[in-house]
Parts: sequence; C-alpha cells; structure tokens
Amino acid sequence: MATYILRRLIQTIGLLFLLSIILFALVNLAPGGPLSAFGGKRIRPEKIGILKRQFGLDQPLPAQYIYWLAGNDWTQIDTDGNGIKDASGVRKGILRGDFGFSYRTRQPVLQEIGKRLPNTITLMGITMLVALAIAIPLGIFSAIKQYSVFDFLATTFSFAGQAVPEFWLGLLLILIFYAWLKNPWTGEPLLPPGGMFSLEGGFSVTDRISHLVLPVLTGALGWVAWYSRFLRSSLLEILPQNYLRSARARGLPERRVIYRHALSNAMIPIVTLLALDLPYIFTGAVLIETIFAWPGMGRLYYQAAVERDYPLLMAVLIIGAAFIILSNLLADILYAYLDPRVRYE
Amino acid sequence: MFTKSRTLLFLTFMVITILVLASCGPAPVSTPTGEAAPSEPPGNTVPTVETNKNITMVIAEDPPSFNPIVSDTGYDALVMELVMLGMTDIDPSGNIFPELAAELPTIENGGVVLDEKAGTMSVTWKMRNDIQWQDGVPVTADDVMFTWNAISDPTNGSWIHGSDYIDSVEKVDQYSFTVNYSSIYPGYLTQFGGEQLAIWPAHYCKADQGFVAWDCGRQPLSDGPFTLKEWVEGDHMTFEKNSNFYQAGKPEIEGVVIRIVPDAAVRKTMMMNGDADIDMWINVNTINDLKDSTTAKVSLSPTDRWVMRLFMNEAAKGTIDSTATPHPILSDVRVRQAIRMAVDVDTINKQVFYGLAHPVWTELFRPPYVCDVPRPTFDPEAAKALLEQAGWKDTDGDGVRECHGCGTAKDGYKMEMQFNTYAEYGEPLELTQQLIAEMLGNVGIKMNISVVEGSVLWDLAENGGIEQSGNFDIDLWDDGYAGIDPTEYLSEAYSKEAMTPGKGWNFFRWNNPAVDALIGETYTLDEQTRKDTFCAIADFINEEVPEIHLFTVPNADAYSARLEGVQSSVNDLVTWNIADWKIK
Amino acid sequence: MTDYSSIETTLSPTDQAIDLASNVWKRFKRHRGAIAGAIVFGILIVLTVLAFLSPFDPEKSDLQDKFQAPSASHILGTDALGRDLLTRILYGGRISLAVGGIAVAIALLIGVPIGALAGYYGGTVDSILMRFTDAFLSLPPFLVLIFLAAILREVNIPFFQRNSVLTISFVIGILSWMTFARLVRAAFLTLREMDYVSAARALGSSDSRIILGHILPNGIGVVIVEATLQLGYAIIQEAGLSFLGFGIQQPTPSWGNLINTAQDHFIKYPWLAVFPGLMIFLTIISVNYIGDGLRDAFDPYKVLETVGEYT
Repeated sequence: MATYILRRLIQTIGLLFLLSIILFALVNLAPGGPLSAFGGKRIRPEKIGILKRQFGLDQPLPAQYIYWLAGNDWTQIDTDGNGIKDASGVRKGILRGDFGFSYRTRQPVLQEIGKRLPNTITLMGITMLVALAIAIPLGIFSAIKQYSVFDFLATTFSFAGQAVPEFWLGLLLILIFYAWLKNPWTGEPLLPPGGMFSLEGGFSVTDRISHLVLPVLTGALGWVAWYSRFLRSSLLEILPQNYLRSARARGLPERRVIYRHALSNAMIPIVTLLALDLPYIFTGAVLIETIFAWPGMGRLYYQAAVERDYPLLMAVLIIGAAFIILSNLLADILYAYLDPRVRYE
Repeated sequence: MFTKSRTLLFLTFMVITILVLASCGPAPVSTPTGEAAPSEPPGNTVPTVETNKNITMVIAEDPPSFNPIVSDTGYDALVMELVMLGMTDIDPSGNIFPELAAELPTIENGGVVLDEKAGTMSVTWKMRNDIQWQDGVPVTADDVMFTWNAISDPTNGSWIHGSDYIDSVEKVDQYSFTVNYSSIYPGYLTQFGGEQLAIWPAHYCKADQGFVAWDCGRQPLSDGPFTLKEWVEGDHMTFEKNSNFYQAGKPEIEGVVIRIVPDAAVRKTMMMNGDADIDMWINVNTINDLKDSTTAKVSLSPTDRWVMRLFMNEAAKGTIDSTATPHPILSDVRVRQAIRMAVDVDTINKQVFYGLAHPVWTELFRPPYVCDVPRPTFDPEAAKALLEQAGWKDTDGDGVRECHGCGTAKDGYKMEMQFNTYAEYGEPLELTQQLIAEMLGNVGIKMNISVVEGSVLWDLAENGGIEQSGNFDIDLWDDGYAGIDPTEYLSEAYSKEAMTPGKGWNFFRWNNPAVDALIGETYTLDEQTRKDTFCAIADFINEEVPEIHLFTVPNADAYSARLEGVQSSVNDLVTWNIADWKIK
Repeated sequence: MTDYSSIETTLSPTDQAIDLASNVWKRFKRHRGAIAGAIVFGILIVLTVLAFLSPFDPEKSDLQDKFQAPSASHILGTDALGRDLLTRILYGGRISLAVGGIAVAIALLIGVPIGALAGYYGGTVDSILMRFTDAFLSLPPFLVLIFLAAILREVNIPFFQRNSVLTISFVIGILSWMTFARLVRAAFLTLREMDYVSAARALGSSDSRIILGHILPNGIGVVIVEATLQLGYAIIQEAGLSFLGFGIQQPTPSWGNLINTAQDHFIKYPWLAVFPGLMIFLTIISVNYIGDGLRDAFDPYKVLETVGEYT
C-alpha cells in the first residue's frame, strides 16, 4: 500500500508538471493577452508598454514560464525599460510557493485566494452535507421500495434536480423569496437576496442561516440527485446478493439486514464519490456564487478569466488540479481501506 | 467481513472537518488597517451610528484599489471619490472646480505663463492650506511632488493624460508648485485631478512599493469625506464619516456601505425593495423598470458624453491604408451617406432606449463647443436611389445589392459586410445592432452580425485588436471625448498620423489633408480660434461621413428616494459630490 | 463484481447484437418513465425541426408587438423586439440540441477510440493513453470550460467562428470525453478476455475487426447510456456559458442565450426567462428518463460501471 501511494504521488508530480506546461501555454498563447483588459476603449500603447514590463510580459514565453515556475531572483531584469538589465528579480516561483501577484489588485495571489477560500469552504461544505442528508434517506427508500410511488417520485425529483440550470433556478428563487414573498409579521422579504451575512445587528446564527438557505438549496439539488441515484443503484445491486440472503435466512429482521449489512457496503462507493467531489470545496461554484453574491473562489476565478488575470487564473487551475488528483488518490485509498476485497500491489 | 464502523467513522470525520472549516470561515470583522498597512492611520472612531444614517451602494465587483490610474475599472474611481481629493474635479455640466487647489490657474490670474516663441508653458498651482489627512498632517506640495514622482517612476509608475508634455514639476513652497510643459497643453486643468488621479500622502505611502502596488492604494489615508473602515473582499466595504473633512458640517451621511452584488437583476431588485441606496451605471432597461418605483429614483446626467456610432472602415478589411487598398464598398462616400440615410435613429431610441437617448449628428454637440451641423434625414428611398447611383444594384433579386459599375469593386461583388459590436454593454446594444442590420437589409445591404469582447475590439494591433489592425467593415460602439476638451480626441481620431496602429484611433483610415491642417491649429489657448477650427472639422466629418453619429446613450445611476443631492455625471462617478448628499 | 459468465458466447457477434437489441428494446418498453421521456423528447425534436412552419420570423423584429404577454396570437408572448417567443424557443431548441448532439459526438469520437485502444492493447499503450485521460480528468471542469470559451470566442477561423455552435460544442465536447474513454476501456478489459474474442483471434481476425466487430458492439450499452446523460449535461453547460456571456451569440437564439438576454427583464416580463428554462428542464428530464430506461435495459451487460471508475 505504501509503495502504491508513493508511486501515485510521484505520478501526481509528473502530471502536475505536464499540466502546468499545457495550461501555461494555453493561457499565454490565447489571443487578446492579459493587457487588453487594462486599456478600455482607447488603449494607450504607452501605458501598455509600462505594464508589460511590470508584469514581466516583455520576456519570451519560455523565460516567462521558467520565472513563473522557479522565480527570477537568480537573474537580472530590466525594470525601467531602457533595455539594460539593472536589478535582480524578486519572484520566487510557484515551486517555492510564490504564485506571483494578481494583475488586477497587485496583491499576492495566495493572499487573494486565502481571502476567498474560507467562504467557499463554508458554502460548498454545507451544501454537500445538506445534499447528503437528503440524498441518503432518499436513496435508501427508493431502493427498498423499488418501483413504488415513492421511488417514482424520488426518481423524478432527482432527475428534476439534474435538469434545472442552477443559475435559472437561483434567479427564480430570488424572485420568489426576496421580491415576491414577504414575512407576514414584519413585512420584510422572506429571505435575503445574497451575501454571507447582514451588516447590521452583528453576528447571529439565524442571519447566517437565512443567507445560506437559497444558495445551499440551489447547489444541493444537483448533488442530491447524483448521490441518491448512485446509492439507489448500488443498494439495488447488493440487495439480491447471497450474503444478504443468508443473513435473512438466519432470521435477522429485514431492517437490520438493510441497515447493518446492505447499507454499509452500499455506502462504500458513496464515500469514494464524496472524496472525488472534495475539489469543489476548493473551486467553488461560479454560477451560484455570482447569483447569490457569495464572495467565493468561483467568482474570483471567473473574474480572473474575464479580466485575464493570468497569475490568479493559473494558480486556481493548478491548485484545483492538484486537489483533484489528490482527491482521486484519496478516493482510491479509501476504497481499498473500506472494501477489503480490493487490494493494490 | 463488513465495514460499517469504518464507513461511519470516515463520514463522521468528514462532517467534523467540514464543520470546523466552515465555522472558521467568514471572519465577521477584519480591519483593513490591521493587515498590511505600513503604519496604522489613526482612525477617528465614530461611535456606533444609527443604521438609517448609513447608505448602501451595490456594485458588481470589487474595486482593484483606490487608485484608478492602475486599472481604471470605474469602481476604483467610485471609491476614490469617497476618500481622496485631487487638485480639481469636474461637475456634471463640465465645469472644473478646485478641490485641493485654492484657485484654478489661468493666464489672467498669472497661474499660466506662456512662452509663445518656444511653444511651451508653465502652470503654477496654489493649494489650500486648510486641508489635512485624517491623521492631522496637512496636505502640501510635498504630497503632489511625491505623487508625480511615483507616477513618472520608470519602474513602478504609470501614465496619465498629457504626461508626455510635462518636462518637470517643481515645488515652489509648502503650498504651491509649478508644472513645466514642453508644449501648449490645453488639458492642464484636470491633469492632477478629475476622476482619475488623486494626490497621495507622502508620509504614509511607501515610495519603494511603487505607485501601482503600494499598500496605501488599498488602505488609503483619507483627505476626502469618508474613511475606509473595513474591506471584506468580494463581499463589502464600509466607510465612515471623516470628522476631519475640510468642508465644515459635511458630509451629512454618517457612513457608506458598499456591497458587492455581481448580478444586475439582483441589484435592481434590491433597489426596488429599498435595500440599496445607489446602483451605479444602470442601463436603459433598469431606468425604465424603476420609472414607477416609489423606493428608487433615477438620476440622468445633464449632458452625455458617449455617442453611439457606426465606425466605417475606408480601407479594405484587414488593411490600414485607405489609399492603396480602399474598401470595396465603404470607400465610396455615397455609400456611407446612403447608410446614414437608411438608419432610423428615432426608432431605435424609442424602441430600445425608451426615448431616453438623445440623437446627435456631430461630435461637437455639447458645451462649450457646440457646432451647427444640419441633422441628416432618415430617408430609405433616397438611400436606395443613392446606392443605385453609386452603382450598387440588386439584379438577381436576392435582396442584396451587387456591384454593377460601382467603381470601388469588381462587377458582381455582393454588398455584404461584417458588423461588430461589443458584448459588455448588454442587451440594449445587441438589440440596436440587430435593428440597424435590419434597416440596412431593407435597402439591400446585408450585414453579418457579430458580438465580440470589447478588449478584443479595441486591443493593440500587435495583439490582434480588430479595429487597430483594420480587420472590420462596420463597428458599432459608443465613444466620445473626456471632460470638456476635444483637442486631443480629434487629433487622435482624424489625423493622418492616427491611421498608423498604436499612434491613434483613426480606424476609419479617413485621410483628409485639410483636416490634418485644421487639427494643428487647435493647439492654442485662443478660445475663438479653437471653436471655429473645431466646427470646421465637424463640417468635414459631416460631409465625408467617416463615421455616423447616432445618439448619446443615457448615463444614469439609481438612487433611493430617501437620498437628496444625488446627481449622475458623465464626467465623473456618481460619488463625485457625496459630501453634499442628505438623507431625508 | 458483475458476473459475465451468463453471457452466451457461442452465438456469432452479429446474432448477439441483434439479440441484444431486441432484448434491450423489450426491457426498455417496460420502463414507463423512459417511454414517457422518449415521447416527450421525440415531440421536442419534431417541434424544433418543424419550427419553420411558424408564421413568425425568429429574427425579424416587429416593434408594434414587443413585450406581449402570452396570448392566443403569441402563445408564449414576445420579446424586446416583438419577436414571437415560441418561435424563437423552437429555433433555439435546434441550436441547443445541436450543441448537445455535436458535443457528445465529439466526446465519443475522442473517448471511444482512446478507451478501446487502451483496453484492447493494455500495457504501454494503456498507460500512455490513461495518463493522458487522467490529465484531462484532473482539470477543474467548469473552470476550464469558462476559460476555453473565453479564449475561443476570440479566435475566428473557418468553422470555428466566434461563439458559433461548432465552437461551443467543441469546447464542451473536448472536456467531456474522459468518461467514455474510461467506460470503454473497462468494458474492453473484460471483454477481450472472453472466449469468443480469443476464438476470433485464433481464427486470424485482425485487431481492427475484433475491436469494431466483436468487442465494441457488446460494450456499446454503457456508452449509449452515458451519451444520453452527457447530452443533457452539454445543454446545461451551454446555458451556463450563455449566462456568463460566453455562449451562442444573438440573434441566433439558443435556450441559454434566451435566458441570458431575458435577465434584464426578469422582474417585469418573467416569462421571457421562465419558458426557455422550462424547455431545458423538460429536455433534460426526458433525456435522463431515457438514459435510465436504457440503463435498466442494458443492465445484464452493464460493464463494471462503478468499479471501473475506481480500480
């Protein structure tokens, strides 16, 4: 097992290296370039020239990649545009944890990410928990009562959950719960339209929850569908199996057969699935964060993509890819750990 | 062998992890000054204020900083107006008024000295001596020197309009300084102010961090009406009244909250529900939706600057020389005139802009330079006749004209062109584009619609910018000159030199030596000469139609009915006069 | 995990395929939801194909009639330029369904060969192809989609004009082929060991004939199921891209950009956004039901659908 994990980790590093080259090339060869966003309608070559130098974009692309990867503090650069290399660089490169500074805010990229990450973890973490809390019972009952009315309704519900464009649902929910429906006692809107908390009245749990309701529901819907369908089908696969038949034959009550024996095995794929979905806790949900004004990673990334904030863009993509690869590894290990039938050489 | 306990253990672990992470999530309060400020600005702590004395603004995205010169998103200028002052500012009607300056330097008061022979000038600014930073340090000429040195620093500096004409800036005494120009520069009054530049505190900003990256650009020390209290990125910013503000008794508002709400529909709903007091840069659909609202009102700027227009490329698509490679369709002035006659501006205004746009037909339509140019008529029949006369006839009956002796293209060449606009403006512009394409289709000109990102449309030629590299037929977007001085704008849009990519914005590739000569004559401080010259240029544009002016787009901001004194301005952000706002 | 010993291996591949098809159809018919889904989806396709029968032009404005609420003359009302919304939705359906179809086709064209080659040859071929697949799988999907759409809308080369159907489909397809590759690989890994494959090999059949004629037909079920689900996914993706301003470009309507342009009028004229959204909903729910029915119908041949992902 240990050698397996080690091998996978080495592969991960290779994969990330490969991805970094591909992404860097893709990002930097894209038409338009990062500076077009700074010009407005009447773009000034004078201003662009200064920016180019400040961002290190006057270097050839391979040099840009090396500086980005390994820094430029070991070499001399031209800082004032007179063509003479006059000072040593200050960048350390991502290998030493320096992801550069954001073109937009001129702040360190990791600092920008650090400000958004907790918000995204909150939103996505709670969304995931809510999704599981709904999906698990839903999946169990539709499997036990296969082809019943409940199963049909649950199936329809989960298909519906996957079929709704989430930004559309989000807008509709805001229209309904913020614009139309009012609290009958206070006359206030039923739910806030977005944001993480109210600025008046200080911290309160109800306030936090009321801000979470709509984004969490909108986001959880797809996951409920996904998890409950998955649980249903993995339970359906297990229920007719021999060991359960023998358990039943031993006279164990059906309830016990299902919850103790069937469910614990059916949960294995769910747990791995969950591990595979962990990267979303880092990358966030662009559409939901945009509609519900949630200051998370998704929106940070979207803004970086639109405004061509390459250092930020690259950082989110690379760190996101690392998260995904590691979650895959985690899922595999968990699967081996939880299901004794699987062994790795 | 079953694994229930392990599964449960793992799930419990996950739940706990997520809860722990979630609970340490959004920090309820984080003071910006506590994070990385070079030195703590002594905040003038105001005791907790009543919430109804605060106002809430909703904007689409965080400002990158308080320094608009760095990125110029508009949001930075919005917040800069809350906390920073420049030498001067411009009011909605285009009048320049002093802020840090004690008076506006002119030739009459001796502030401006011309050297006619050398063609140079120098401007001496006198500053008020009663303005202080929020920590009590006076704002002096040292701060101006510091700011200019930071901008002109070749490593970390930036670029401001007319900075190429500045030879040097010299401190005269504590409260005055002189700017020496290498040429006559009529735009000198707004150079150290306006919506772009503020004067930055020399004792607080760290020079070695560099103008574009210094921390004081994000945690500013205020000399304006408000001070920054808290900035939670992506969520909100809070400001409180600067009790040290130089205008006694102002601002009346106790505090400002800016909430970041990316979706325009949500912002509009918040305005209607009375949960927001300011929504900046609203489009015509929102103006129309708020028409009957009791909670929200709309402020339109008294004059508009942005003229929606059709840019026509006189050089063949993909080239930049209208003489060597003329456009097969648009190089004939009759065709351009016919297009102008075929577009029904009033219908577009009525149907898409709810009658809120103002038709204009020249660049020089607003004070102080208003030229008397006759309004072109909408007459599709005359347009058709003119096209026939120019040799464009539809003989194969497909509704699209072809060249039959047109003189600019081979016989049989189809009258079909690419028609671009930019995406960021949103639905009203897309509808306008679709209507214009239909109107031109009605006279037999086929337009193929394309909507592109603004940055691609306007990018430098070396980066494939569509207009700079001449890679278009007809484009539709809004343009206009900033402030009240069209001099540079005209030179950079119509001169022969401006046809070269990177040297200007003559992407019509309109080449008229007479206009070139006139442009040279506008660089003077003699007002009558300037006005006459501007109008002579306007007449040329009207006759030769390098572009078709359609209408000015309304510049508007929404404000809540409880606010008084809000005045939208095309020369600045809505917060330009926030010190004068009152809450009813 | 799945028991393949029940597969009848003495039949010739063609007979197997026919037998498989009729069995699948038999079982599919029993799934009522799937039948309902198929009917709804069929109607949708017929309606979008017949959109030209509409008395209204999808792009020509009729300014006297703008913002009409749903009525007898305009069943779903009209938009900001007075164009009939139903007509635009039907034309938009062509685009949205085309995006879905082309995106899935692109994903199949990339994913199936990669999976088949990796699964059939194994060894080095397998590990190279699977590392390639892993690389794609480790990209955050929607983030890369946004980024690719953002750059591709700025290139203007033949067939891939800005925001054209082909460009958007390509962007979606190139990021969704990996599941196909993995599923097909898993199926091939199992099926290549089957007796009938060894028999074919012994009889001197070429690799390509074995892959295309013997193995692929038996692994096709899981691919079809996945393809139906991906179709719906692609339609939603296009809508999401449109919402962010990267989708198909007006005046060509798609369901996504219809919702996007309706945003400005969401409060006053909600139907402009509601109806296109409902169409997406209806399409995807019916496609999902079809996929579910197909999954049940193919079930005995279901190839390591769960295990294949994690081993």
